[in-house]
Amino acid sequence: MLQFDRIALPPETETLRAEVRAFLAGAGEHLARPNSDFTTGHDPAFSRKVGAKGWIGMTWPKRYGGGERSFFERYVVTEELLTAGAPVSAHWIADRQSGALLLRYGTEEQRERYIPAIARGESFFSIGMSEPNSGSDLASVRTSAKKVDGGWVINGTKLWSTDAHRNHFMIALVRTEAPSDNRHAGLSQVIVDLRNDGARIRPIRNIAGGEDFNEVVFQDVFVPEDRVVGDPGNGWKQVTSELAYERSGPERFLSAFRVFVELVRAAGADPSPAQAALIGKLASHVMTLRRMSISVAGMLEEGKSPEVEAALVKELGNNFEKVLPELARLVVTSDGRSAGAPRFREAFTDTLLLSPSFTIRGGTREILRGVIARGLGLR
Amino acid sequence: MTTSSDTRQLLVDTAERIFSDHCNKASLDAAERGEFPAALWQTLCENGFHELAHTTSGVELGDVFAVLQVAARHAAPLPLTEMLLANRWLESSGDTATVGILEGDRITAAPWGRSAATVLGLDLDTGELVHVSGGQVTRGANMAGEARDDVRVPSGAVRTVQPEPAFELIALGRAVCMAGTLQRILALALQYANEREQFGRSISKFQAIQHNLAIMAGEVAAASRAADAAIDAIGSERFGLEVAAAKSRIGEAAGIVAEIAHQVHGAMGYTHEHTLHHFTRRVWAWRDEYGNETWWQARLGRHLTALGADNLWSFLATRG
Repeated sequence: MLQFDRIALPPETETLRAEVRAFLAGAGEHLARPNSDFTTGHDPAFSRKVGAKGWIGMTWPKRYGGGERSFFERYVVTEELLTAGAPVSAHWIADRQSGALLLRYGTEEQRERYIPAIARGESFFSIGMSEPNSGSDLASVRTSAKKVDGGWVINGTKLWSTDAHRNHFMIALVRTEAPSDNRHAGLSQVIVDLRNDGARIRPIRNIAGGEDFNEVVFQDVFVPEDRVVGDPGNGWKQVTSELAYERSGPERFLSAFRVFVELVRAAGADPSPAQAALIGKLASHVMTLRRMSISVAGMLEEGKSPEVEAALVKELGNNFEKVLPELARLVVTSDGRSAGAPRFREAFTDTLLLSPSFTIRGGTREILRGVIARGLGLR
Repeated sequence: MTTSSDTRQLLVDTAERIFSDHCNKASLDAAERGEFPAALWQTLCENGFHELAHTTSGVELGDVFAVLQVAARHAAPLPLTEMLLANRWLESSGDTATVGILEGDRITAAPWGRSAATVLGLDLDTGELVHVSGGQVTRGANMAGEARDDVRVPSGAVRTVQPEPAFELIALGRAVCMAGTLQRILALALQYANEREQFGRSISKFQAIQHNLAIMAGEVAAASRAADAAIDAIGSERFGLEVAAAKSRIGEAAGIVAEIAHQVHGAMGYTHEHTLHHFTRRVWAWRDEYGNETWWQARLGRHLTALGADNLWSFLATRG
């Protein structure tokens, strides 16, 4: 049985929560079109302000610019930013997983070079995992790095790398040995300087009209020796160690939260029975998902690697954030006139167009169900 | 929670032993035929469980609900939520008491009203309890075959004021028991999928089955966490709203989990001979007792619209 312990956020998080809300109240120019999806809203100026508050790399050691604070405090900051609709995309990946990866597997020199800049909100990272022919089957990646004098030469293509055209670095999963019977062997993680190494980056327009994710082509791109993260060949283990961070957070069930807020606004003080019931239903789901997600934060705080629990939170959470706008639209008046609930319509339109990505990014629904099934002892 | 987790664990372990001794296919079928499970009740009394919810028992109410969840995992054929809470409110010991809803001159759907020395009728308008002993009983049952009897209230019946939120506490009992039952349903489905072979292998090896079981596991985990949260809210000003969230969220899970469990079990689980239906029929019945999902959702929803859109997040962002 998968266990989600009853865990309360420590009392000191209340002070922090108030600080974040006060900060956001004074950051109105960054919140012009609030959106709770963590991949929309790339605002380096905002990220620098968040970094200046000490809210990036909160759990990391102070000697690398971190805050040495708990995963619970980090949790409170991230959920406050998301629900306010703040533009967090620039620093999100670096804060969530790249920094943690470098701390755990990076060399001392790498930690000192990259992590303090991440914590200041000045250095942004993208993920380099998927490829044209490697999506859910990540172990099949073909992008190769060949050892040459003083470094590595990379050839291949990475796909769906969010913000690669705006960020500074990518941590790419590459094959450093020829494929063998052990599909998980021979993979390594390499830091690519997206602005200087010569990778060709092409934004890909999505159905919402945005250009957030990219194709990144490597054609004999040279990176020096000191860009390899961890031991060559250890890439698979390193990549999977990021999953509990990547999958359990509030961004996995709050992507549609602004639609919920605007639904409550549209319903007003005298909601219809259908509106009242839906609002209560959505609230009951958020309350439960949030508590499960905080349980996972508690496991991370204890140094565990709750990958199955994280997959379960993501699976439940993605389905919830995906169905939220679908249910909400049916209870907001639609009598043919164009007027009425403009803020709801705006949030709804933004979110619905993004929603197909919810159950794909960071592990598809199908992959997650497989992870859960393994946790149940079925595989 | 001020209660020590050791106390809770000790109670839960003892309860686990008692219920696994007394609850089996034969005893569940007998209870459905109308035989009060006297031996089980006697064992519970001998172990002091009948007074568990007394204000003087030294046991937190949260621990009482933890025990109720254990009982539900075994489909214990006793309305322990009502019996323990009635004994709390009556400060009685030993006697069997139960609670139903007061409607006019009748108390409706009182679990095992036929066997109870005292039947309490909950007046939803005033929060009062009407006390009835020896009233005329009309037998009934819910879809799980659990006794749900109507009892005539004689004129001049005693009324007492109940300061505790009786309706919400019994609703919490249903929610917690549904969560416990869903845990058992998942265990049954996992066991069956591992044992049943088709096409030369265990059906648990088929991806379609694995995905359905994964969906079940998610719903059961959510139900369990929601139940714990509502238990933790006992005595707080949010209690009624946390019960609203738990009863409705767990009720949703119940429908999904029961449906998949039957699909995984195939025709075998549709037979009366199999034990699955003792669990699935209970959650189907309990969803609709003491407020169904829509009723509780609307109650929570109206609270949130009164707070307003800009206070929604503050309401949701609790510490516990």
